[in-house]
Amino acid sequence: MNFEAIIVGVIVGFAVAWLARRWIAAARRRKEGGCARDCGCATKLKPKK
Amino acid sequence: MSTPEAGLLVALVGNPNTGKSTLFNALTGLRQRVGNYPGVTVARKSGTCDLGDGQKVELVDLPGLYSLAAASPDEQVVIDALSGNIAGDRRPDAVVLVVDSTNLLRNLFLASQVAELGRPVVIVLNQADVAKEQGLRIDIDLLSRRLGGVPVVLSSAWKGEGILDVRRAIASAVAKQTPMKRVVWPTNIAAALTDVATAAATDTGKQVSEADAQRLLFDTNPSTADRLGWTVTQRDKTLRSARDRVRNSGYNPMAAEPLVHYAHLRTVLEGVVTEGAGKAGRSAAVDRLLLHRFLGPVLFLGIMLGFFGSVFWLAKFPMAWIQSGVDWTKTVVAPPLDAYPMLQSLLADGIIGGVGAFLVFLPQILILFLFIGILEDSGYMARAAFIMDRLFSWCGLNGKSFVPLLSGFACAIPSLLSTRTIEDPKARLATAFVVPFMSCSARFPVYALMCAAFIGPLYGPGWESVVMVGMHCVGLLFAVPTAFVLTRLVLKVKPQPFVLELPRYQMPKPRDVLWRMWQNAAEFVSKAGTVIFAITIIVWALSYFPRDASVAERIKAANPAAAEEVVKAKVQAAYVEQSYMGRFGKAVQPIFDPLGFDWKITVGVLASFPAREVIVSTLGVTYSVGEGAKADSQHLRQAMQNAKWSEGPRAGTPIFSLAAVLALMVFFALCSQCGPTIATLAQETGGWKWAAGSFVYMTALAWIVATLVYQVVIRLS
Repeated sequence: MNFEAIIVGVIVGFAVAWLARRWIAAARRRKEGGCARDCGCATKLKPKK
Repeated sequence: MSTPEAGLLVALVGNPNTGKSTLFNALTGLRQRVGNYPGVTVARKSGTCDLGDGQKVELVDLPGLYSLAAASPDEQVVIDALSGNIAGDRRPDAVVLVVDSTNLLRNLFLASQVAELGRPVVIVLNQADVAKEQGLRIDIDLLSRRLGGVPVVLSSAWKGEGILDVRRAIASAVAKQTPMKRVVWPTNIAAALTDVATAAATDTGKQVSEADAQRLLFDTNPSTADRLGWTVTQRDKTLRSARDRVRNSGYNPMAAEPLVHYAHLRTVLEGVVTEGAGKAGRSAAVDRLLLHRFLGPVLFLGIMLGFFGSVFWLAKFPMAWIQSGVDWTKTVVAPPLDAYPMLQSLLADGIIGGVGAFLVFLPQILILFLFIGILEDSGYMARAAFIMDRLFSWCGLNGKSFVPLLSGFACAIPSLLSTRTIEDPKARLATAFVVPFMSCSARFPVYALMCAAFIGPLYGPGWESVVMVGMHCVGLLFAVPTAFVLTRLVLKVKPQPFVLELPRYQMPKPRDVLWRMWQNAAEFVSKAGTVIFAITIIVWALSYFPRDASVAERIKAANPAAAEEVVKAKVQAAYVEQSYMGRFGKAVQPIFDPLGFDWKITVGVLASFPAREVIVSTLGVTYSVGEGAKADSQHLRQAMQNAKWSEGPRAGTPIFSLAAVLALMVFFALCSQCGPTIATLAQETGGWKWAAGSFVYMTALAWIVATLVYQVVIRLS
């Protein structure tokens, strides 16, 4: 594998990993009842159980 | 956000449209969305407020509400926050009650209810300038004495007047801890409240405050009982007998609370407000024209046409500059990488081509939000809601649905959150279901690309704004019957009256409007630099690989006499077609063939299911892969204009015909292509059933309507 292919592979791999990490973190925040930071608002209030 | 020095928490409470958010901005120095229609604040917003003597407190801006009787989720949030029942939040050390100076009696009802919580209170009589203009004189010292000595200050947050007085009053309230004078309950009601508090405390083993007892006795909403864990069987008998006791004293139990509070407030306000000669409301005169039964909708349509026309016209030149910048960057970046064609293609075709195609729309987004800000802050948006009310009340939606539906034209996610202001859960569900039909700003770049590339050049610039308004109406056109079926036949929602408070017209504050424009621009650019950037790299990789060298050799061998440029173009086209993206697009394309979409558009449509604006960058990549090395590479619009079908019965004809362009825009107007919206819908409806239903319904509807549009237009043209 040549140097060019390695650089391109790293860039593409980084993009995939970054997007996956972002989506997983947003899903986790939503599951916890918080803001997924998709809407630009601050943290939502959660009534005590 | 924390206040390390003091650790004190102060809550800002008030009716909607009292200038609460503007006062919050003035006190904290933070900027937030300042809306003119009720219910805009549904999230927690806090900031640090300097009290002027070096002391700092955390100020939290709570949703606007008219009373403490929790009828909707956001009202419940206020009650929970004021009572200290919010996880992770302290009970406020003081409450700042923001009151509209021109309507003290109605606004002080909430203040009187808050007084029952026993917290130190500051009364801010905001919009004092308007009261003065109307000839109202308010004796704040007398009011303060009548309310038990709590600080009462005049302010005009919009003009920045009286802010220092508010800071000092908060410091005084925090230091002196003076509670507001409370209402004196008639004997029978007081006894009924004691019965309720005692029974609830005995049954649950928890401490039940007087404020809790009032909510238990006066509200039909069981939220307080649920929070205390007082079951229906436990509370039923006690509440029935307590309400009978109230009834026997001559009060309807459901109306007793406001009747007693208003009687108390009339005594408090006696002699506090004196009316002098003032100017008659100019807003009323303007409203006679803008809210006219027939003229109002015509003017509304005219304003919208002018609005979109201006967006196109004003953005034309900065868009051309950005496009030139993108093209120039390609010519600078590509040539030095001639020896590395893969890296060259990634940078020029993928990153610069994809992100550039998206960034070109920045001027339109900036101007769009500038105009939205002007319409909102001038007070016209609330009038637009009033005009649209007639349409929506016909389809059975709750009157409060207008605010979420109207804000859905900016973004569906905060709109879904703002459905929390709707009391009736069925009406809330119906509203949340149709919110994604509203044409959000993410659809804007798609319409803008199609209008700029095809509608404008073919039919003239005037048609761009007509098509733009039309596309914004398409979602509405299908939202109305959907809501009708949902509210009347499926959910059977009971119609409820809608009270919309129309704010006064005012000159938008340039600082606030520009700040909001800047925030949206920053979000757009940040999206381009993060999500769009990452997606374009992935789309590029899928459009570039695999690269089989034998493809080039085969084409060269088959075209021995062809010019080098022609062979090169054929090789690039073959590479893209046999890439992963090409193969996938070709496999799926038959589904979209009735809509007139080729495989490249199909790929763009599929890639934009997580976020619809991705289609612009995806088309930017798929139409530019292989172009990067050329100094005069075409930009996306030209590439799309020149694209032709290469095979099949449509071979040689333009891919982007009028029929296909309209079908594509209609598809995007109706399709559910936003991952965060679907997830928020699931969150707000308490499960995936309605979210999945919305996705399937909208996507199927989009396919059917876009097919009809394509087939009809292609036959007519």
